[in-house]
Formats: sequence, structure tokens, C-alpha cells
Amino acid sequence: MVSKTEEAQVNRLENQVDNGGGGAWEYLCLVRTLKLRRSDKVLKHGLSILNDPKKRSSLGPDEWTLYEQVAIAAMDCQCLDVAKDCIKVLQKRFPDSKRVGKLEAMLLEAKGSWVEAEKAYTSLLEDNPLDQVIHKRRSAMAKAQGNTSGAIEWLNKYLEIFMADHDAWRELAEIYVSLQMYKQAAFCYEELILSQPTTPLYHLAYADVLYTLGGLENLQTAKKYYASTIDLTGGKNTRALLGICLCTFSIGELTKGRNKEGKESSDLQCLAAAALEKDYKQRAPTKLALLNSTLKSLKLSS
Amino acid sequence: MAEDLVLDTAIRDWVLIPLSVVMVLIGVLRYFVSKLMRSSQSPDAKIVKEGQIIIRARNLRAGANFIPPKSFRARRVYFSNEENGLLYVPKGQAQNAQAQMFSDPNMAMDMMKKNLSMIIPQTLTFAWVNFFFSGFVAAKIPFPLTQRFRSMLQNGIDLSTVDVSYVSSRSWYFLNLFGLRGLFSLILGEENAMDDTQRMMQMSGFGFDPTKGLSAEKDGLDIVQHEWALPKFEQRAEAVLRKLVS
Repeated sequence: MVSKTEEAQVNRLENQVDNGGGGAWEYLCLVRTLKLRRSDKVLKHGLSILNDPKKRSSLGPDEWTLYEQVAIAAMDCQCLDVAKDCIKVLQKRFPDSKRVGKLEAMLLEAKGSWVEAEKAYTSLLEDNPLDQVIHKRRSAMAKAQGNTSGAIEWLNKYLEIFMADHDAWRELAEIYVSLQMYKQAAFCYEELILSQPTTPLYHLAYADVLYTLGGLENLQTAKKYYASTIDLTGGKNTRALLGICLCTFSIGELTKGRNKEGKESSDLQCLAAAALEKDYKQRAPTKLALLNSTLKSLKLSS
Repeated sequence: MAEDLVLDTAIRDWVLIPLSVVMVLIGVLRYFVSKLMRSSQSPDAKIVKEGQIIIRARNLRAGANFIPPKSFRARRVYFSNEENGLLYVPKGQAQNAQAQMFSDPNMAMDMMKKNLSMIIPQTLTFAWVNFFFSGFVAAKIPFPLTQRFRSMLQNGIDLSTVDVSYVSSRSWYFLNLFGLRGLFSLILGEENAMDDTQRMMQMSGFGFDPTKGLSAEKDGLDIVQHEWALPKFEQRAEAVLRKLVS
């Protein structure tokens, strides 16, 4: 994930390049290192560099990396002839290269000829069975075709070998959530929390999944994770605050008969409600009435 | 004994500086030669998988307190299970890493190449230093030393009354050998700054021994006591919110 300073830098460079100032090459390099997906800008500025023979020769050996970057951006924007031209140039220069083979397979994928792309990827994998990008492209292809269970299968196979790749776990968790397989999604989020315990995003997502699963134990765990999100973000995450209120309410519903833990949880709920009110007053005063009515309905019944 | 010997500046011009320059050049040359000769090693699937398992087990140990106890226990069993746990290596299979290294011809060739690229320039330079630059005092070390160092530092000088701080050019050669890493990192970029000490360490290490790594991780995982940190977070969140609201 990109840090704030890096994002600010990229945006600044983007503005500079868009408004006619120089620095297109630095912008493209930064986008490449940070792995951002800004294909339209990359395409526009990359092509302007490539079509100008003086600028192109001043790049030296980096010219080919730029061709690769522009080819991928063109495929993302569906300008397939631009992509084809770039790939042809690369093919002439590096006739037997695996990287160029990967680009060709991606072009087949972009055109929509799924079967041929599948064949191309399989043959590339035979030569090089440990290439992570190709594995991931296969499951991306399955997802694009709408075959989510196929995507899950490919991702699982990939994760059996490369189990420390947290991006893949994240993708798998999102797919599971979209298919409503919440238990498996919870497992994936646990993996993510293990590898990066201080990222509030994963705590929040895990809490959401647990809340959706329901059941007293899950609700209590969800409440704890909402609390940890609040702690990690300094109380600024609205979703976590609302989550706390909802969780406390649901726990109260479930434990209506037993009178054990009624007292300690209400503190947190009141505080969360107060923080929410303050936040809404500052940022969205028009919606304050809506918030107050919701909170009242939660408070009254618990 | 505390007399100051006056050293000819010609020594500095014709011995110290050329020796350093030659060693730097040899280092650069060795870098380029190793780049040319390096055969791309296709990674073995099993080794990659084991590496990833180790990373995942390490993450589990580090973040154990952040996930619910049930999930932690389930994962621990998955890893260290006696029958088919990922980290479990049955005693018979703990392969002798050395035997494996030597039987695989590619790896043996690689090691030979690495060793050669280091031994030959070192030997040649040392012989050159000995031949041309022996028999005289080359430099003075700015701090006093004990008599023990005499045999090491004053090898070509056969006078026993000269102060130990006055050293021969052989010691200048050794100083350069161990010290040029900073210069190499400037010239060749950060990762390639390998001077000879690191190469010697690489030469003696026998490379990746995956079985030991796995059993070490398994032991570490068995030791971990799970202490769920989340309940504390509820109180911390309360404190944060209190501060925010007040």
C-alpha cells in the first residue's frame, strides 16, 4: 500500500505533467515503482515520449521498460492496436523472452480470447513453474470471466506454494465475501492480521465479517476488533464507531435473559455515540438528525 | 625507542596509493567478471515453498496475540502436527545438506566459480605485494601497539628495535582488503559492496539448509503462549474516545 507522502508526490508530479511542465519520465518511473494503476495518464504521457525519437533515444536501455509499461496501460484502456505495436517492437528486440511472452498472453486476454490466453499461460508456466505473476494472472482471468469458483481454485493453488503473499490473501478474502462464504473470508482476514497486525483496515474488515456471521461469541469478538480499529486509528474511523454501537445493541438483544455483562459495555457504546455525534456535527451537520434517530433506536432497546 | 623515524614521501606516492588503486580496480574487475559468469539458478519449487512456509510461521508467531485463541490453536496444529504438519520433518528425512550440495553438479560448479573468483586475485595481489613492496617500512600506525603485533605487522622488516607502530606494506594490503567496502558501495551501488571479508564468509557457509530452518520454526511455535491482546484494546478504545469526546 502506498504511503501518504508517496501518494502526494505522485499527485504533484501528475499535476505538473498534465499542465505542460516536464517530468513525464519521473512520473512514469514513480508509477512503476509504486505499482499504481493510472493507465490513462501512463498511456498519454508514455506515448508522447515514445513517439518523439529524440526523447526516446535519450532514455537508453530504459526504453524497453517504457514500452512494456505503455503496452500494459494500453491494454487496460482497451487501445489494443497501440499495445500490439509496442509488443511487436519488443518482440523484434527480445525474440525469445519470457517477459514478452507474458505480454502477448496478456494481449490475448485483453482481446477476450480466453482459451488461447489460457493455453499461452499454461505453456509459460511449464517453462517457469515458479513465476508468481503468471499464476496470479490465471486467477485474474477466471475472475474476469465471471468464474469465481475457478478463481478461488487457482488462488488456493497459488497460495499453497506462496503462502506468504498477503496481496493474494486479500484478494481471496474479497472473493469469499462476494460469494458470502464468510467463514473462509474470516480465515483469510486472520492471515492478513497476522502478517500486518497494525493495519486497521484488516481489523475492520475482520470485524465486519464476524458481525455478519452472527452468534454471541462472534459478536463479542467483532466488538473487540472494532475497538482495536478505533484504537489504531485514534477514534477517527466512523465505520468502527457505528460498528461498536451495532454490536453492543445486538449483544444486548441476544443476552436479554441473562444479566451479566450489561454494565461495562454501555460505557463504550455511549462514548462511541458521543464521538459519532461530534464527528457528524463537524463534517455533515445536515445528516445529524438521521444519526440521532438511529442512535436513539439503538439506545432505547438495549 | 620513542624516536620518530622520518618516512620518505616517495613511499606514500609509490607504495600506498598505487596499492590502494590496484585493489580497487581488481575489485571492480571482479564484480564485472562475476556478473558475466553468473549462471541463473532456477529456483527449486520445494525450497521456495519451504521459504514461504517459514515466513508464514514466523508471522504466526509474531502476530499470535492478535487473533482469537481458537484460530491460533488451529493454525498451530496445522503447522506442527505430528503426521502431516507443514513444519514437521521426520528424522530420517533430515537430509545431509552437504551431500546434497555436492551431488548436484550445478551447485558444485557455482561454488567453485565463486571461490575461484576470490582466491585467484587475492593470491596474485599478495604475491605482487610481497615481491615488490617488502623489506621496508611503509607507514606508521597512529596509535601504539604491543610487541605481540610485531610478527604480524612487520613481516618483511628484520630489525627488532623498530617501534611496532611502523608497519610494512603487507599490513597496508590487509587493511585495504578489509576496508574497501565503503568505497565499493559508492562505486558499484549499495548491494554490490562486497569486499573480501564477506566473500570469505560466503565461502565457508554452505548455503541454505531448509530442514534446520523448519525445525527451528516448529520449536519456536511450540513455545508460544497465546495471550489474546484484544480485550485490552476495548479499554484502550474507551480511553481514546474519552479523550476525543471531552
